[in-house]
Amino acid sequence: MKPLLKNPLFWVACFAFLNVIMYITIAKFWIGGSSFLPMIGEFGVDNKFLFAFIVNLGIIAGSLISALGSKEFVFRIPKNSNNVIKAVVGGILIGMGVTLAPGTCSTVFITGMPMLSVNSFLSAAGIFIGAYISYRLVIGREK
Amino acid sequence: MSFELLCLIGFLFGIGFGIFVQRAGLCFAHGLGEIFMGRGKRIIRMFLVILIITSIGFLLSGYISSDLGLKSVGQIRGYGFYNILSGILFGAGILLNGGCILGTLRQIGEGNMTFAVVLLSFIPGMALIVFGLNPLLNTYYNTTTGILLPDIIGLAAPYVTSIIVIGSIFWLIAILWKRN
Repeated sequence: MKPLLKNPLFWVACFAFLNVIMYITIAKFWIGGSSFLPMIGEFGVDNKFLFAFIVNLGIIAGSLISALGSKEFVFRIPKNSNNVIKAVVGGILIGMGVTLAPGTCSTVFITGMPMLSVNSFLSAAGIFIGAYISYRLVIGREK
Repeated sequence: MSFELLCLIGFLFGIGFGIFVQRAGLCFAHGLGEIFMGRGKRIIRMFLVILIITSIGFLLSGYISSDLGLKSVGQIRGYGFYNILSGILFGAGILLNGGCILGTLRQIGEGNMTFAVVLLSFIPGMALIVFGLNPLLNTYYNTTTGILLPDIIGLAAPYVTSIIVIGSIFWLIAILWKRN
C-alpha cells in the first residue's frame, strides 16, 4: 500500500476519477483559466465562473492541507526581483490567454481533450508553440 | 439545488483536487519544460493516465444522463485562430513563471508566494482582453457554436474515444516497459 501512495500516477488517477465523479454528480467539470474572471467582475452565465473560482479556492485549501500533512509546506516570499518580473509578465500573458479563448491551459489536458472538444486540440498546439518560444527565448538562454 | 449548496459541494471537490494535485506534484508548465529538455516521460505518463480515465468517464456519462456526455469546452469564439493564439500566449506565460493553473494553485497552497504574485497578475491580463479587446473582437467575430472532434471527422464519439484510449494505453505501456 505504501509504495502505491508514493506513486504520483496513483494520485493523478485519483484526480481524474474525481473530475469524472464531479461531472456525473453535479454536471460540472474542472476548468482552469476562465474561473479567475470573477476577479475582474465577470461571473459568467448562471455564475459558472464563480462556481469554478470556488472550486479552485478549494484546490488551494486542499494543497495547503496536503502540504501541511506531508510536512512539505514552506512559506516563501519572493526575494529575487528577476523572478517577480517573470511572475508578473507570465501572469499577464496567462490572463490574456485564458480570456481570449476560454478553455485553454490546464483545462485542455484535463477536460477539453477527453471531451473531444476541437478548440482544446487547437489550444494544445498553441500551448506547445508558445511554451517552446518562451523556453528558447528565456529559460533555455539562462541555462 | 441552491447555488450556495452547489458552491459548498464544489469547494469540497476542490479540496479533493488540491490534495491529489499536491501529492502528485502535477504541473503542466514543469512538464512542458521537461519535454523540451528531453525528459518528458513523467508528464506524458501523467497526461496519459488522465486522458484514459477522463475520456472513458466523460463518454460513459452520456449513457447515465442525456444532460451529460461529451460537450465542447469554452468555445466563446468558435474554434480556430483564437484558440491557437490564446494557447501561444498561455504557453509562453506558464513557461516564463513556471506554473500552469493547477501548478500555480498548488504552489500557493504549499506556501510559495511568488505564485500569489502570478495569480494576481492574471487580473491586468484578463482586464485587457475583457474591457479592451473583446468589445472590438465581438464586432467582427462572435461564434458560440460548440464543435466536437467526431462532428469534424464524421466518426461516432465512442469510436474516436476508443481509438484515443487504446492508443494511450499502448503508449503508456511502452513507456512503463522501457522504464522497467
